[in-house]
Order: sequence, then C-alpha cells, then structure tokens
Amino acid sequence: MSEREATIFSLIQSCCSEVILNEGSGSFSIQVPSEKLVFVMEHLKKSESLAFVMLLDHLAVDWKEMGEFELVYQLYSFKLDQRIEVTTKIPRAIPNAHSVSRIWPIAEWQEREVYDLFGIYYINHPDLRRLFLEDDWKGFPLRKDYEDPFMLELVKE
Amino acid sequence: MAVEENSFLLTTVDALVNWSRANSLWPLAFGTSCCAIEMMMASTAARHDIARFGAEVVRPSPRQADLLIVAGTIVKRMASRLKRLYEQMPEPRYVMATGSCTIAGGPFYYNSYTTVRGIDEIIPVDVFVPGCPPRPEGLFYGLLVLQRMIKEGESVAQPGVRRKPVMAALPPAMTLKDIQKEIAALLVERSEVKTRGVSPNRIWEERA
Amino acid sequence: MIEVGSLKARMESTPGGLKTEEYFVNMGPQHPSTHGVLRLVLKMDGETVREVIPVLGYIHRSIEKIAEHLNGRQIVHLTDRMDYLSSAMNNWAVSLAVEEALQIELNPRIETIRTIVAELERIQSHLLWWGVLGIDLGAVTTFFYGFRDREMITDILEETTGARLTLNYIQPGGLMFDIHPHFVKRVKEVLAHLKIKICEYETLLSENVILQNRLRNVGILTSEKAISMGSTGPVLRGSGVALDLRKQKPYGVYGSVEFDVPVGSVGDSWDRYWVRVEEIRQSMRIIEQLIDNIPEGKFMVMKPAKKLTLPKKSYFGQVETARGILGVYIQGCEKEEPHRVHFRSPNFNNLWVITQIAPGGKMADLVATLSTLDLVIPDIDR
Repeated sequence: MSEREATIFSLIQSCCSEVILNEGSGSFSIQVPSEKLVFVMEHLKKSESLAFVMLLDHLAVDWKEMGEFELVYQLYSFKLDQRIEVTTKIPRAIPNAHSVSRIWPIAEWQEREVYDLFGIYYINHPDLRRLFLEDDWKGFPLRKDYEDPFMLELVKE
Repeated sequence: MAVEENSFLLTTVDALVNWSRANSLWPLAFGTSCCAIEMMMASTAARHDIARFGAEVVRPSPRQADLLIVAGTIVKRMASRLKRLYEQMPEPRYVMATGSCTIAGGPFYYNSYTTVRGIDEIIPVDVFVPGCPPRPEGLFYGLLVLQRMIKEGESVAQPGVRRKPVMAALPPAMTLKDIQKEIAALLVERSEVKTRGVSPNRIWEERA
Repeated sequence: MIEVGSLKARMESTPGGLKTEEYFVNMGPQHPSTHGVLRLVLKMDGETVREVIPVLGYIHRSIEKIAEHLNGRQIVHLTDRMDYLSSAMNNWAVSLAVEEALQIELNPRIETIRTIVAELERIQSHLLWWGVLGIDLGAVTTFFYGFRDREMITDILEETTGARLTLNYIQPGGLMFDIHPHFVKRVKEVLAHLKIKICEYETLLSENVILQNRLRNVGILTSEKAISMGSTGPVLRGSGVALDLRKQKPYGVYGSVEFDVPVGSVGDSWDRYWVRVEEIRQSMRIIEQLIDNIPEGKFMVMKPAKKLTLPKKSYFGQVETARGILGVYIQGCEKEEPHRVHFRSPNFNNLWVITQIAPGGKMADLVATLSTLDLVIPDIDR
C-alpha cells in the first residue's frame, strides 16, 4: 500500500471505524460491513477530500463454500486520480443488499445485471427487473449451484 | 393437361426459372455480432462487390427478401425472432448460416446457458459458411454454392423439394489467389444455363 | 400591447383542451441503425421521444460463465468476440490481469508491438464508426471511404496475426506471433495514406452543413451527468472530462510517447464526433513515434506449456479501448480456472446515457445520438 492509499484509508476510517483493508485483492481495496455500506458510499462520494464521483463497475462473487456473496464496487476519483475497490459480504441464505442507485444513477442498471445473474435483491431499488434474461427465467445462472439441462459440461480428462 | 415428368418443356422452364432465381437473390441481413462486420465488408463496402452475383439489394424487411443471411451468434432470446422473420419471408426462401456460432455454437458451445448450438435447430439451412468470422471471400463462396444448388435443385414439377444443407468450406491449403481465381472461373462458367443441349438464348432465337 | 394568439393556444382553449396521445414504438432488436441487436422501447408523443427503455439480452452469450471453465490463456479468445472492433485491446486487458496475478515481467519489444497493434485497431474502429455514422445520417459515400481505409489496416493485421477481426494476438506473457517482416513498411504506407485522407474526410463530412446541423446541440450530455452515469472513452471526453487511461495510468509504452487527449466543450453529438476524428490523428502520432524503433527481443517471455495457476486473490486489469475503459476482474482460487471473471465493458455504461439525453428530442436525433455513442452490442450483453 502506497503512502497516498494509506492517507485515503485513514480518511475513510475516520468516518466509519468498522472499515478494514481487504487483503484478498491485488489492488487497493476496503471491506465494509453490509449494513454500513450506503453510509460509507455516501461519504466516499460527498466528502470533499475523497470525491469518488464515478462508479466504474459493480459485480458479485459467489463464495458457495463460505455461504457468502461478495459484492464489489469499483470507484474512481478524479480529484485523487485513484481507483478504489469497496467490497461487502452478505449471507447466501438471505441475499439482500442496499441499493446505491440514489448515489450513482448508473448503479440502477449494474444492480439489475447482478440481480439477473446472481439473484441478489436490492432494497430501495427503483426498478428491479431482469436485464439480460427473460422475465420468466428460472434460477440465477452465475451462481455456483446453478443447474440447467440445456448447458453442456465439458468433461476434462 | 398432364405433363410428363422430365419433359422437354418443364426442364427448360425449370432451368430458366432457377437461373433467374439464382442470379437475383435479395438478401435479408440478420447480423448479430462479429460476422455482421465481415458481411458489411462483403456486401456493400469498398473492396468487394456482392452485386457481381446479383445479390446486392440488402433488404431490411423480410417480405422483400429471399435469402436470409444469419451472421452471428443466436441466443435463446433471439431464436423466436429469427424464426418469425424466416416465416415472414415469401417462398422460395433460402438460408445461409455464416460463422461457426450459427453452425454449432462456435466458442460458446460448452457451459453456455443461452447460446443456441446451430441455427438448424430453429430454421432449415441451405448453406453453412464456416469461419470465425468468415472472410468476405468465404461468404461469396457460400453464395456461389447456393446459386449452384438453386440452379440444379428445385423444379417446377416438384416445388419445395430441396437438397440437404451443404457446408461451403473452402478446401484446405488454398490461398486467397486460388479463391479469387475459382470465383472468377465459376462466374464465367455459371453465368450461362446448361440444360440438355439447349441454351436459353436458343429458345428465344427459335421462337423469333 | 395586445397579445396575439396562436392556433395551438386556440385549440387548447376548446372545452377539454388539445389531447395528444402517447404511444410506444419498438425499435429493434433487428434494426439497421442500432448497430446490432439492441432493442429500444420508445415512448413517443408524435415525433418527440418521451422515454427510452433499452431492452438487452438478445446476444447474451454467457461469456462470464464460460470463462469460469477456461484458463487464463483461453479466456483471451472469448474477449475477441465481445467488442470485436477493439479485439486487441480486449485481449490486452485480460493479459494485464493475468500478468499481474502471475507477476510476469515483459520486455520492451512486446510492450511496443502491443501498443502499435492497439493503436492500429483504434484507428480502424474509429474509421468504421465514421463510415457508419455517415450512413446513419444518409451519407453513403463515407461508408465506402471509411471501409476502404479500414481494409488497409485489416490487411496489415491479417499478415501478422492471421485474422482480420478477431485477432487473438495479445496473450498473457507476450504475443501470439512475431510481427510480419513487412509490418513496419506497410504501417508507414498506411499512415502516409491516412494523413492525406483524414484532411479530405474533414472537408467531405465534417464541414458539411447538413452534418453540422444534425449533430450540433443534439443529445447534450453534461459532464456531471456523464460522470454520474459512469461513461468513459470518447463519450466522456466529448463532455469535456479528460479521462484517458493511457495518460492517467499508462500501461504498455504510452508513458513514453507524446500525444494529446482531445476533449469537447459542450458535450453534444458534434463534440463526440470531433473527439473521435481527432483521436485518429493522435493514434497516428503515437504509431509514428514507435514504428521506427521497435526494440529487439523475444515476442513471448513465457513457455506455452506453463500452467497459469492463479493465486487466491482478485485482479483488475484495465485498458482504454476505442470506446472507453474495459476492466477485467479475475478472482483466482489456486486453480488454473478462475473462480469468477467479470468484464466491465465501456459500452454498458455508455448505453444508459441514452435514457438521459434522448427524452425531449426528436426520433431522428435519437438515431444520430445513438450513432455518436458508438455502441457495440455484444460487448454490452457479453
């Protein structure tokens, strides 16, 4: 972690002490408890010293063995010229997360994609529908336990 | 009036009809992904000219087209649209599938929950053009094969009787110059109709 | 001062008023001017667009699921088919992520050739966009010119890589093949040709009054909106924000070459047009600086049989493609196959801009705006 990243991290920690560094990432990454996510995200965008005004990307990772979904947000700040990864973990049994579409409008569609492929339900989302698949599609295909008779598995020797 | 099968009149009319059908194919471009760029390159853009084969009138509407060129992957959600477009086309209609995705799903064969593995699961196909994506020359080769099929295939006596789909694969170890030479030779050879010793020109001469 | 009425006011003053009825128009999924299989449901009031509802999924090929079953080298060929007009840059993004994971050091030759090929791709992508923009607005000539020059670049790429469109050239650890002996000579020829032609095209299309009227003050995207929608590439730069990864976070040899980042001022369709045409010039400038001194060395620093076992960490490789920032998120799990692969495609974010800027405009302007956003649909759906 560079010096600048350390200062950014201390700035974030001053608003929410539960934020920890995420070691499982190759880039500058922090982990936030899921109930504090919207609060931290709002701070990241609105704080003048941070100003992470751009939400580049949002995705989910299915950790089936641990019974968790990991949600990853990639933010970018023009002021600091810095990208930051914000992650949060939610239980696989109750896949509910808070929507950040009020902070960044683009999150509306990125969250729709994650809902479509992972079945994560976003609270306070303005228009939660499937994005790529038909409305009557059964199951969430990018989950590790997704089964579909249509899908062919390549059996490796 | 009952006409004998393979009578002189029918075979000549067949040849004439098929000749004109083969040389005025109006394609409906159904481009979904990468193959569509090569199809654009082949059909309307600078270097190649599909008008040499009488197929330059690319129609956006299925009602005016008789050749459906499917260029690109077809997924489950698109399948019903493709079928509907095919059904809207008037007879006789021909289908050309370009690219490995339309032949068998291509690189999206395994572990894909949406990709249709070959469009012949949805609609009947006349010519498959392999490649990922096929070169414009490959597309022309497929078109020439289709023209040959039309000229030899359907007859007025048995309308709708079609041959099995063929793979218009370019033979291995063939260079670009060979293809161009072959296309040129085919163009010369196939520009005239060969019926049993009677050329269409002679029919008109005799009638005059 | 006596006020003079209008017919519209008179009609509205009748009992019940003037009622216009809104209706839905379906544009796509198979429509010539949506550049692929994008479907837009438009809520129209006469000729005016009230709302745009994009419907996706007509080319959703489940690339992310397939990539979970392939190794780092094999994923590359899937990315060719996402944004097929900047396939070399897509390959590069995956290679960057995998190289970061395996800590592979590259030699200057590989970096230089990668940069040149990526810039050639950028030029051909912008030329194709330029030609298709003309045809969308009714100028067929540009289509021929754009494709003619694009074909010259495709020929060079074909000589070296064996493919015209889906290159599959940049691999983790280097390149698939070394460059063709004629590569340098032919690139120089094309650059000399393009330099003259670009000026010609400016007089042909850019200075055309009809084009100016169709593009100026149409589809205005303010910089705040562009940032909040997460758009990148020429769409963002057209709105006046100079975000270019090649400058901000140089990869390849972009750090050692001189080039400018063109930015617009208003954020209308014209600015996006101008930025792309200017980018062609800047790409030529980059290639000119590099083409004469390609360093010697190997074109692959890794043995082809080497297993690419990814450590249990996540990596994010990002490059600037012809359409914006492409990010590749790879989560490894001590196996060759990654646990999760996600593509942050530039077109995905650029598409949703249309829901913000099209309402209130006319139907014909929607086509012009869509054209200047330069979308590649398979990249959105993946």
